Amino acid sequence: MKSTELRWLAGISALAMTFGALLLAPSPVGATKHPRYGGTLRIELHVATLSLDPREWKPGSVAAADSERLAGLVYDRLVTLDEYGRFQPGLATEWSHDASARNWQFKIRSGVKFSDGTPLTGKDVLAALQPLLPTGLTVSGGENNVAIHSQRPTADLLEQLASGRYFIYRAQAGNGLVGTGPFVVAEAVPAAPSEANSSVLKPAHLKFRANEECWAGRPFLDAIDVMLGDPALRQMLNLQVGRAELIDISPDLVRKARQENLRVWSSAPDTLLALRFDEAQPATGDARLREALDMSLDRETMANVLLQRQAIPAAGLLPQWLSGYAFLFGSGMNLERAKELRAELPANVAGGTEALRMRVDAVGDVMKLLGERVAVNARQANLSVQSAPHTVGGGGTAASLPSGLHLFAWHYDSLSPRAELQEIAQHLHAEPATDVTNDSSDPERLFAEERQLLETRRILPLLLLPEYVGIATNVRNWSVAPNGEWRLADVWLETGPGASSGEASVEPGGGRGVHP
Amino acid sequence: MRTVSEGGPYNCASCVLLSGQNAVRRTSDCPPHFLVCFFLMILLVVPSLWAQTPANGQIVTLDDAAQQLAERAAAIPGLRGPLRVEFFQDGAFAGETGKDWQESFKRNLEKARVSVTEDAGANVLRVGLAETPTELVLSAGVRVSEKEEARFVTLPRTAFHASSLPVVPVRIEKQLVFQSGDRILDAAAFADGGDTGLLLLAYRGTDLSLIKTDTSGTSRQFASLAATGIRTSRDLRGEVTVAGNETQVSLPGKSCRVGWSTPDDVNCGGAKPTWRAAVVLTPACDGGGWKLAADGADWSSPDMLQVMPDGAGRRGSAALLSDFPGPILSIAGAEVPSAALVVTRNLRTGNYEVYRITLACGN
Repeated sequence: MKSTELRWLAGISALAMTFGALLLAPSPVGATKHPRYGGTLRIELHVATLSLDPREWKPGSVAAADSERLAGLVYDRLVTLDEYGRFQPGLATEWSHDASARNWQFKIRSGVKFSDGTPLTGKDVLAALQPLLPTGLTVSGGENNVAIHSQRPTADLLEQLASGRYFIYRAQAGNGLVGTGPFVVAEAVPAAPSEANSSVLKPAHLKFRANEECWAGRPFLDAIDVMLGDPALRQMLNLQVGRAELIDISPDLVRKARQENLRVWSSAPDTLLALRFDEAQPATGDARLREALDMSLDRETMANVLLQRQAIPAAGLLPQWLSGYAFLFGSGMNLERAKELRAELPANVAGGTEALRMRVDAVGDVMKLLGERVAVNARQANLSVQSAPHTVGGGGTAASLPSGLHLFAWHYDSLSPRAELQEIAQHLHAEPATDVTNDSSDPERLFAEERQLLETRRILPLLLLPEYVGIATNVRNWSVAPNGEWRLADVWLETGPGASSGEASVEPGGGRGVHP
Repeated sequence: MRTVSEGGPYNCASCVLLSGQNAVRRTSDCPPHFLVCFFLMILLVVPSLWAQTPANGQIVTLDDAAQQLAERAAAIPGLRGPLRVEFFQDGAFAGETGKDWQESFKRNLEKARVSVTEDAGANVLRVGLAETPTELVLSAGVRVSEKEEARFVTLPRTAFHASSLPVVPVRIEKQLVFQSGDRILDAAAFADGGDTGLLLLAYRGTDLSLIKTDTSGTSRQFASLAATGIRTSRDLRGEVTVAGNETQVSLPGKSCRVGWSTPDDVNCGGAKPTWRAAVVLTPACDGGGWKLAADGADWSSPDMLQVMPDGAGRRGSAALLSDFPGPILSIAGAEVPSAALVVTRNLRTGNYEVYRITLACGN
């Protein structure tokens, strides 16, 4: 086609798009569409149970990540981090630290009340944070202020407090927790046998209602209804037919969701899938075995074929978005080198009757598939790896024997790369090479520590997975904090013209809870 | 003590150093004596009011950071050229920063007597620029004598300024006249004799306030509206209008008047607000009106300003569209009939920005 014809076509298309946009646009208004108050947001999650008590969360646990996401509805933090890298006041309005970054002071926001009507004080903050903070950090608190003292320089304290388990709550006499956040737990129903068929479990669900007295303003939604443990395909169907507004989508179903024109949002990679060598099988103490397995792993195929490009190969323990230097680590597959190393090992090491037994965390189909792929890759290097899903009580033969290899998922909780690496090192049972007199937030020191952990090959990073969320088209103002928390207090639901949903329709700007 | 305070550029408390963006953690130490501290604070804070100053780090541009990284990389013991430099940059970030920093890095590496080559067989120096939740990280990694060496330079994300947004050149003149990290609800222009500037309805922390600035954007006077008893809201609507020597503020269920001779004297009364109608501009060379409207879906996506012919007789005229870096929060007429003020929240920087829109004739 001639270039003049192309230009004509482009011009006509541009005109058509301009007028189309004008025709489709709503009647002129002063500004961007104003939020609506009211309505219930229905969320469906894979996870079957969760806890809103931050004291129960295990670092790196995938289940804890779901719990943290929902805990953000009920509790606030001292500070938050916005997506522009700025720390914003939360329950603390001012903060300061001394030159060594060991002693921090926080001024607590006045006039804030817990959802049970009691006022927030520094003593509440002390009681909430002390059980959560890592060893070496101590809290003291007065009426309107809190001091945190650290044995070592902690320049990244704000990053830590703005993420992970560091919520402010008050434990009530009846063992429940209350918070100051935009929502209040209205009902928590555990999974129970169905009335129609007692062999079928009705999934657990949680109901949250708006906190009318929230210090940051009432949320737009009236309520949030969370259904737990529904099968993945039923969740997708519910989203399609309008029975749910928000669902989590496992990576192996993302392509299907997109093919069905669902609105899919994805995060930065927030979960690491990795292999860990355990001492339960003595052969794993041989560095040549660990290197041989590492060299045999085809991470590109795992990411691009097995997970259909919904994951990325991992070379480091921390993701690029958190450390900024992950690209400096290489993880090239080298099957020839793997075979050479294998040949140096005795035949009964990861071979013959002494296969390397691999425990696989039962997190879903993705882990199972990945475990099988690891075994296939290992076989190509003449290594025998026997995969067995981890079940409580030990179901299979392999699971009942001690395992030398563990395929696990690690969810990044912290906005501090130093704190995150330290948690991973503890998980690995490796002594962190941190000099307690120095601040290892220094990137060169952090890089050296991570490289040292990788060089031992006690842990082999495989893939990084983002979080995928299916969102109904009527969900507005969807946004996510840098630590992965859903900002559901700002979400509102669009209703179609003439829709009789019974939701409140109020004058823009004069929403409920606004009028004095 | 190193301190950060809520409230962005307006607060002025002792021993509290301020930034236009309240993410700055590392500030200079205050001497213990209060008066010394106070005068130091005045010296440091006053010139920076309303200004978008970076953090107190010495590095303020990517070029500076690239230069420092090159110097640090060149000082790696045993490093010898020629090196092949491979750059790595986050996708979303790449378009915004350009490649000037890469040229700066190579130039400064050669200045430090480490030569650069395109030879595929040469030792590779990997250089990256990445955005983490709080920092920009520039890194350089190279293998020297079987050992991986890496050097880093970091700067706070808040210290980095993206280049100005392109101005729409044709028929709509768009000029950024004010920006702040604090939440701006509405803006109005005033021209009282030789005295001209902006009136801004904004949150200072959680306090609703009225701010009067001069033409350079420097704040001149404040009036707190805390006494109105308006509760904090996620979507508070408020409008500012100039009424003679006074400023009128319309809020849900309330109307307030502020006389700037005594700004502490804010008079409020219960009133059902009459929100302003769509703004219509009339450029000098065109007798007809042009209606301004936004068409965005919500506050999480960039908006487009529509400038449409107003009135039945002008339906055949073409419309103009102008992109904004975030949702349009308010549109108000300016002091002349051909101009308006548009408040938006820049989704890239998080700042609230006020643009002056003028309908220019010709072109």
